[in-house]
Amino acid sequence: MASTQLDTPVPGLARTSAEAPGAQARGGVNRLTAPAGLLIDHNKPVSFTFEGKAYRALEGDTIASALAANGVWLLSRSFKYHRPRGVLTMAGQDANTLVQLRDEPNVLADRTPVTDGLEVWGQNYTGSLAKDRDRVLDYFGRFMPVGFYYRAFMKPRFDQAYEPLIRKKAGLGKVNLNAPHGYYDKAYLFYDLVVVGGGPAGLQAAVTAAEAGAQVLLVEENPELGGALSYARFDAEGALGLRRRQELIAAAEAQPNLTIMTDALCNGWFADHYLPVIKGNRLYKVRTKQMIVASGSIEQPAQFRGNDLPGVMLGSAAQRLIRLYGVRPGQRAAVLAGNDHAYGVALDLQDAGVEVACIIELRDDPGPGPMAAAARDRGFTITTGHCVQEAVAATGKPHLGSIRVSRITGPGTFDHGSERVDCDLLAMSVGYTPTYQLALQAGGRLSYDDEAAHFEIERLPDGMALAGSVNSAYDLEAVEAEGRRAGWQAAQALGLDAGTEPAVPAERGAQGINHPWPLFKHSRGKDFVDFDEDLQVKDIVNAVAEGYNELELVKRFSTVGMGPSQGRHSALATARLVAKETGRTVAETGVTTARPPFAAETLGVLGGRVFEPERLTAMHHRHLEQGAVMMTAGLWWRPAFYGPKEKREDLIAKEVHAVRHKVGLIDVSTLGGLEIRGPDAAEFMNRLYTFSYKKQPVGRARYLLMTNEQGVVIDDGVACRLSEEHYYVTATTGGVDRVYRQMLLWNAQWRLQVDVASVTAAYAGVNLAGPRSRKVLEHLGSDIDFSAEAFPYMGVRTGHVGGIPARLLRVGFVGELGYEIHVPSGYGEALWDALLEAGKSERIKPFGVEAQRVLRLEKGHIIIGQDTDAMTTPDEVDMAWAVSKKKPFFVGQRSIELRRRHPSARRLVGFTLPKSSIVPLESNILLDGEGEMAGFITSAARSEACDAVIGLAYAPAETQAGDSLTIKLTNGRRLEAKACAPHFFDPDNQRQEL
Amino acid sequence: MNAPLRRSFAEARQVEAGARFEPLNDGQVAVSYANATDEQATARRLGLADLSPLGRIGFKGAGTCDWLASKGLTIPEAPNRAAVQSDGRLALRLADQEIFLTAALSGTGEAPAELEAAWNRARKAQRGFPLPRQDTHAWFLVTGEQADSLFAKLCGVDLRPAHFADLEIAQTSIARMSGVICRQDLGGTLAYHLLADSASAHYLWGCLLDGMQEFHGGPVGLHAVQALAKA
Repeated sequence: MASTQLDTPVPGLARTSAEAPGAQARGGVNRLTAPAGLLIDHNKPVSFTFEGKAYRALEGDTIASALAANGVWLLSRSFKYHRPRGVLTMAGQDANTLVQLRDEPNVLADRTPVTDGLEVWGQNYTGSLAKDRDRVLDYFGRFMPVGFYYRAFMKPRFDQAYEPLIRKKAGLGKVNLNAPHGYYDKAYLFYDLVVVGGGPAGLQAAVTAAEAGAQVLLVEENPELGGALSYARFDAEGALGLRRRQELIAAAEAQPNLTIMTDALCNGWFADHYLPVIKGNRLYKVRTKQMIVASGSIEQPAQFRGNDLPGVMLGSAAQRLIRLYGVRPGQRAAVLAGNDHAYGVALDLQDAGVEVACIIELRDDPGPGPMAAAARDRGFTITTGHCVQEAVAATGKPHLGSIRVSRITGPGTFDHGSERVDCDLLAMSVGYTPTYQLALQAGGRLSYDDEAAHFEIERLPDGMALAGSVNSAYDLEAVEAEGRRAGWQAAQALGLDAGTEPAVPAERGAQGINHPWPLFKHSRGKDFVDFDEDLQVKDIVNAVAEGYNELELVKRFSTVGMGPSQGRHSALATARLVAKETGRTVAETGVTTARPPFAAETLGVLGGRVFEPERLTAMHHRHLEQGAVMMTAGLWWRPAFYGPKEKREDLIAKEVHAVRHKVGLIDVSTLGGLEIRGPDAAEFMNRLYTFSYKKQPVGRARYLLMTNEQGVVIDDGVACRLSEEHYYVTATTGGVDRVYRQMLLWNAQWRLQVDVASVTAAYAGVNLAGPRSRKVLEHLGSDIDFSAEAFPYMGVRTGHVGGIPARLLRVGFVGELGYEIHVPSGYGEALWDALLEAGKSERIKPFGVEAQRVLRLEKGHIIIGQDTDAMTTPDEVDMAWAVSKKKPFFVGQRSIELRRRHPSARRLVGFTLPKSSIVPLESNILLDGEGEMAGFITSAARSEACDAVIGLAYAPAETQAGDSLTIKLTNGRRLEAKACAPHFFDPDNQRQEL
Repeated sequence: MNAPLRRSFAEARQVEAGARFEPLNDGQVAVSYANATDEQATARRLGLADLSPLGRIGFKGAGTCDWLASKGLTIPEAPNRAAVQSDGRLALRLADQEIFLTAALSGTGEAPAELEAAWNRARKAQRGFPLPRQDTHAWFLVTGEQADSLFAKLCGVDLRPAHFADLEIAQTSIARMSGVICRQDLGGTLAYHLLADSASAHYLWGCLLDGMQEFHGGPVGLHAVQALAKA
């Protein structure tokens, strides 16, 4: 073979845009003249920067195509060895093109559009992308053999010495923690048929099914429909692809019940054809009855030394640059041919003005195919039975300068003698793998046709079909026919009349599409199988030699296929290598398990628009107007206290003081509300709660305590008997949903004549509490007699307050004369306003949850969930009085009786500390004499009324009033508290019963 | 005029949006936000109206359907279907023996309070139990040709007109909240009633308006809804 050495530096690489007058104006030195480039608009220039340098691009360019147009081929540095990397696929399928944007790392440069003003950087380098100081690692490959991480991190000393360094060097890109929040959301879609892939097969399938009446969604990953018709060459003249593309798109757009979604990625398959489709910042959750996967195939690289150099790319990548973006991929090219598609590539290159130096044909005879014939007609130099044994960088440049071509002597072997061919582009066309991910996620199995050296997919689930090159059809006529038949089958399955079954030609073009062994291991390595992880042929071979002879083990040991491209370009070569090294067939070796997602997806897309329901009481806006600091209670917002945050302690103390000495008003709308109605209402209450309710008089309230079947306290509240067959029940804010579910469950089992209705949201409620509360109500006006005789403690009345229909309860959670007033929630704000107005003369003051906590603690009233835990029995919290001994049954009764036979070792006690003491935190622990944990605090507060710090704590059961309790604070300091009965203020309850 | 006693649960949102209110019952209702022509165009494209100030009541339990039928109501044949009454009220059958009854959009027809009073006068047996739907549930109406596209962003049920019939009901999750959706086209315009937790009305109103932005939808008043119904 004659040498075709260049006598000048590699053109295009040396020439900068500054040296090419007018080049910038037309979008770069390598830009072909209009109308070249299906996706770009020659009349719409945009500007962007890469590595701080400004470039011109055209609307429709990706970052990678724009840089290529400007003669910039170095896009990134490889993960481990920091080797220069550039365009490989131009399909958004490989990690070579990962770049950094201001707010987002790891962006695919060959998929992301250039926008005006976009700032782009390379990533994974030290210094500059061009002169990465870490490129020295390329020379230390021998010290980082396969499985390096597994070995290295097994040694503790290594961890300490080198782990920080490796952690610093590992990873790609930088996360901008100050990146602005994007708007993401999700939407549901429903279709009869989803077709994934808008190439010739997908278009034909979608049109056929839509014509039959199916509602069809066609999902295309790229910005334009057409698939390979948009960039590949299907005939010697080079016009067939684009013509068929236009015809098929026109047919698709004419279908009213066919929805076309471009720039959309079907990123996985889930049971029953539940498909996540990502388009922009939206995740569509698509339900479909039928699914056709026409996802095409992924062209594969050959393996030889230096196969990762910028300038070495897939044949389809060169064609994409030319036909989609109007970019000349090089000045002088060599084509590595393992199939006839390579000749189409060569023809396209020449048509784009690229000098085709030679075609290196792996086969001994390419056969009589029309493309090969056309190449011969054009006089291309075709060197059969040869391989590329090495791609060599141009002197001083991170780009291909020449290749060394050798004669093949057997599968994967070659003569050591070689010829040098100078070129700045090597286009490889040696075979494909089907884009099998979705099909395999759905349960399909991969087999290998040894004769065609090709993967095939079998055993698809019901309702899924394949069409096109994913199904090993490469001849265009066969591809379209397969699409028509798949669409017809889907329509039939949907019960639609789609006419007669379309025929599919026997010849599908799969034979010869894959060269059986395009792997040429080099004695000096750098023959990459996995570009993402910098894995060479010897790494896979050595992994097998280490004993990892199953592909899943090879994957985990070597990390092959675990990078961003997820084995798209390494699975076939790895399977072939493992098969060879283990003496099995490729079919027996298989590929690793395919799992969603198909491609990387952002957390924003997964999160979507975050729906965080919240509940507001009817008085919420009044609280805000009155300066409340709000806090959450479950989904509810409640006022914590009223006034500036910085005066918190003082404000809470004043609110407590107002309740104790005058009158306060708190919004208790968040309390759960339940209506229990029916002839068996009393029986139902009696079975559900621990106390007795059958004899509860109408017009009276009674305390409620609920235990579960284990005898554990789970809720409390008040039962108001409004009539013989009607109880209005309150439950805790956080517990009402559980209580309601329990009620429905037990009601379904007991089959009593009872109706349970949740009315929490139906009633707004306030607690008007304090010695002057009765006066406030009298000022307001009502049809209810509020005298102590007519409306005693624990009485319940219905009537009107300030003209508003209301239910009133005399209860004493805060230990003062008080009235809970419940009104239909639409009237809540009016009630709040009326009470504050009527209470002005009594110096009424709104109070929040924090003051209420102090007030109830002074009374020793427990809060379920704060002063109880998942084991608390009524006895432990001094609630035996609320457990009936006479009832035949209530939920939890048997467990309480059983647990009483083994008395608890703890109980809830009160404690006091001097008023000047620090207030311990809830969950601070108690210590015994040995310094071991003896209990813990559940509530604590500084009390003006008690002139002390008071609290509740679980302490040893034998604790007596006056005993000393040692509290360990969070900072380790210890306090000595005095145990006491948990009723600190007005223990005889005289104030609330006024 | 005295301040209204009743407030709609999303009234603050409507005040922010510049709603014009008119008294209704013992509260007030947002009747408009813009001029009538623009607002009706919004309602036909994608509108959100708060009908919470209008009346509604529920009944459930054994005997509910028979008792309500005895009061002259047309009861839907099956659960998850609704029936328009001769006076414009809408009876939503949520379960075999559960009815959610809304007032007519015109404001005419028997008031819920009158029905509740009749219930109180009736014999105890076989009449079910009233439910305070006026206060448990906010009542929104989503109108316009893009209404199903809006719900596709908030709800996992296929509400497209070809798949979700007029007067069909879905009891489902909307923006992570439980709710009842009932389609009732108004004068040929697609419309869905949305009944959901009143305490979360403020939140839900915000979610709906947020979802409407891409379709150029917005709030509309009762007058625009009534105009749709008359069209």
